[in-house]
Amino acid sequence: MNVVEMRHISKYFGSFCANKDVSFSLEEGEIHALLGENGAGKSTLMNILYGLYMHNEGTILIRGEEVRMDSPSVAISKGIGMVHQHFMLIPQLTVTENVFLGMKEAGLVLDRRSLQRQVETLNSRYGFNVKPDAYIWQIPVGVQQKVEILKVLMRQARILILDEPTAVLTPDEVVELFDSVKALSREGYSIILITHKMGEVLSYADRVTVMRQGRVVDTVKVADTDEKALARMMVGRDVDLERQITGGDFGAPLLEISNLTVKNDKGLDAVKDVSFTVREGEIVGIAGVDGNGQLELGEAIVGLRPAEAGEILLCGRQVTQASIRTRLDEGLSHIPDDRHKKGLVLQFPIKENLIMGMQRSPKYAKGIFMRRDAIDAHAKELVEEFDVRPADISYTAGGLSGGNQQKVILAREVDRAPNVLLAIQPTRGLDIGATEFVRKKLVEEREKKKAVLLISTDLDEIISLSDRILILYNGSFMGEVQYDTPLEVFSLLMAGRTARDEEVV
Amino acid sequence: MERMRQTLTSFWKPALAILVAIVISAVVLTVAGYDAWKAFEALWNATFRNLKSFGNTLNKASPLLFTGVAVAVSFRCNVFNIGTEGQFLMGAIAATCVGIVGKGLPGIVLVILMFLAGAAAGAAWGFLPGWLKARHGVSEVITTIMFNYIAMQFLGYLVRGPLRDTSQAEPQSFPIADQGFLHYIISGTRLHIGFFLGSILAIVMYLWLFRTYYGYEVRSVGFNATAARCGGVNVKRTMVQAMLMSGAIAGLGGAIELAGNAHYLFENLSPGYGYTAIAVSILASNNPIGVIFSALLFGFLNAGSTAMQRAADVSASFVNIFQGIVIVFVALAAISKKHSKGRAAKGGA
Repeated sequence: MNVVEMRHISKYFGSFCANKDVSFSLEEGEIHALLGENGAGKSTLMNILYGLYMHNEGTILIRGEEVRMDSPSVAISKGIGMVHQHFMLIPQLTVTENVFLGMKEAGLVLDRRSLQRQVETLNSRYGFNVKPDAYIWQIPVGVQQKVEILKVLMRQARILILDEPTAVLTPDEVVELFDSVKALSREGYSIILITHKMGEVLSYADRVTVMRQGRVVDTVKVADTDEKALARMMVGRDVDLERQITGGDFGAPLLEISNLTVKNDKGLDAVKDVSFTVREGEIVGIAGVDGNGQLELGEAIVGLRPAEAGEILLCGRQVTQASIRTRLDEGLSHIPDDRHKKGLVLQFPIKENLIMGMQRSPKYAKGIFMRRDAIDAHAKELVEEFDVRPADISYTAGGLSGGNQQKVILAREVDRAPNVLLAIQPTRGLDIGATEFVRKKLVEEREKKKAVLLISTDLDEIISLSDRILILYNGSFMGEVQYDTPLEVFSLLMAGRTARDEEVV
Repeated sequence: MERMRQTLTSFWKPALAILVAIVISAVVLTVAGYDAWKAFEALWNATFRNLKSFGNTLNKASPLLFTGVAVAVSFRCNVFNIGTEGQFLMGAIAATCVGIVGKGLPGIVLVILMFLAGAAAGAAWGFLPGWLKARHGVSEVITTIMFNYIAMQFLGYLVRGPLRDTSQAEPQSFPIADQGFLHYIISGTRLHIGFFLGSILAIVMYLWLFRTYYGYEVRSVGFNATAARCGGVNVKRTMVQAMLMSGAIAGLGGAIELAGNAHYLFENLSPGYGYTAIAVSILASNNPIGVIFSALLFGFLNAGSTAMQRAADVSASFVNIFQGIVIVFVALAAISKKHSKGRAAKGGA
């Protein structure tokens, strides 16, 4: 039986059509993924179901009965609960207090013990492993997510909407979360999973509805589909994230790091006596689990963090102590790990962000005055070439989607015609279309005989792009491997063990 | 065309805000038993009765204009220079010293030297907190406030000690040389060029902030220092430069106030211009050209306060209340503008 049926839903924001003739159904007890790129209309559709938006056309049926969803309280009374991407918890209160916050059922005088017992019961039933008396600020993000789910369950929801639940979770937390979600679905809860990650869909969902540009492309059983087919539905064409590069004609070393040691914020050695080179026409990937010195290594090369010992040579020139300005002038480009903090001035329009780092170049400045015509022309060109949307060079960078923000950074850094391109987590948080675009551009730089250093925790990305792969563990390299090295070897090295260790054991 | 519409829309809201503030104040005045009509007539006439009163208002706005632009420049760089008061006073002190010592110099030379000395003293007074922040991470909010006290006490010391004009009953310094007085530019008024110089300076600072790469770097540091750093900007140097610039502007304001209006030092030379300047600048969203108008508004209200007292027997405190109401409403208008902008950006995303 379908617990939810949305028929021919259309939703307009002004003249913009966010959902067009969308039909969607949810069966009792299934995990139904709603897959699509950022801006495909997934969240809009679910906000309609949850009563946050009113649709312009179409009907909604809950358990066969037509419902006018004009506020979340209607949705809640119909047993629908939504866990938002951004948590709505009060850090200073305990788990139990947060769960019962705003619930009239808790009564005027709180019986803490009984409330806690209720949380305990749900907890053990679904293996949530949440301490009811812990304060929110004390518990990790993965557990906070579960508190959000507890809140929804406590309000008697039988239909759960999870909006990008894994966006902020570590891989282990993701597994744990889905274990609980599976347990819920076995108990007859029906779950809608909004996501743009195909891996999650394939491993955990029963059915999947793919959306693109406000419309439903198709609804299929997960068992009948695969990654390629889903990607094609999402993007509307074949997507190739497979390795495309072969061999290579490497030239002179452009980036040489020798015996580099860098301290982290706590004053401990985060990068220990590391040496490597990146040559013309080469992509070197640095893989590893997050927090093993990638951040500090990247910052030391850029010049954001001092080197304690060792040398950094850019195109043969010593830059270990040089300012960032000098390094930029020597042809270093940098796609930072944190685009909001390091990559963009969010309050600036796109065009002003596109000249950051080149503001004093004679191309964009005459004397001390900026050449506004040149800046505009430059911005128009890049916005077109990199397909930044909206293609309005006066649009504030903070209003762009993550993918488009990354395109602005990429456009700027590639346009500077660097000798060395340092890309740190260049596709983190991007949807598949944008990811493909960014990777294509990195390969293009390689073909232009640039040296590319890719630091990423996304192993697939490293494998599909790198000519050589170095594995960083606890600040040192565990070894150099190739893209076709067996995955088991990767996991061993990333966990800090060498193949030889294993043999000895 | 688009730009003109934007300018127009940025004007009608503050105008409406002032109107609402006037209506509310009129109601309060009437309820309190005063003659509201008479009071506002006095307020209006204090500026617009004749040329002399108009000049008087411009003179009153001049120190606020300089300190306001100074605040705007530093705030744009995310450096909270609360010390324009002290920089203003140091500027006035330096100008006085030059004005007293340089008795033998021709007027134009003396005036220029006084201006330069004022700007240099203000810059120095801004540089130290800026340097302390850049080099040692000392909060500029605290140091600039402390520097205000140092400047005030130093002024007190000078007018009671080394510079004291003993022929006067109250502690005050010797006057500067006559040829150092700024000319009254319209006969029959006391209007000096301060406000006009300030307006030119405001426009220059606007161009500097929004049309040069220095300004670009200042603004990028102000919004996101880490991103600016990644873009090769020397963040610390930029902050120190912004403090130097800000201090110089405030110091120049002090020198002009001294040469144009006060002519000698005394303890209450500044009734807190440097603090009012923060409100002046924020009211103008830290836009130097906007500061011209908000300084005028404050000058207008200040000029009117005594007149209201005299004409309608309204207490000076009420004028302060009225000022407060005006500022709250203009600030509300400014915030609502920002808010609707944010919504537009979100909707488009």
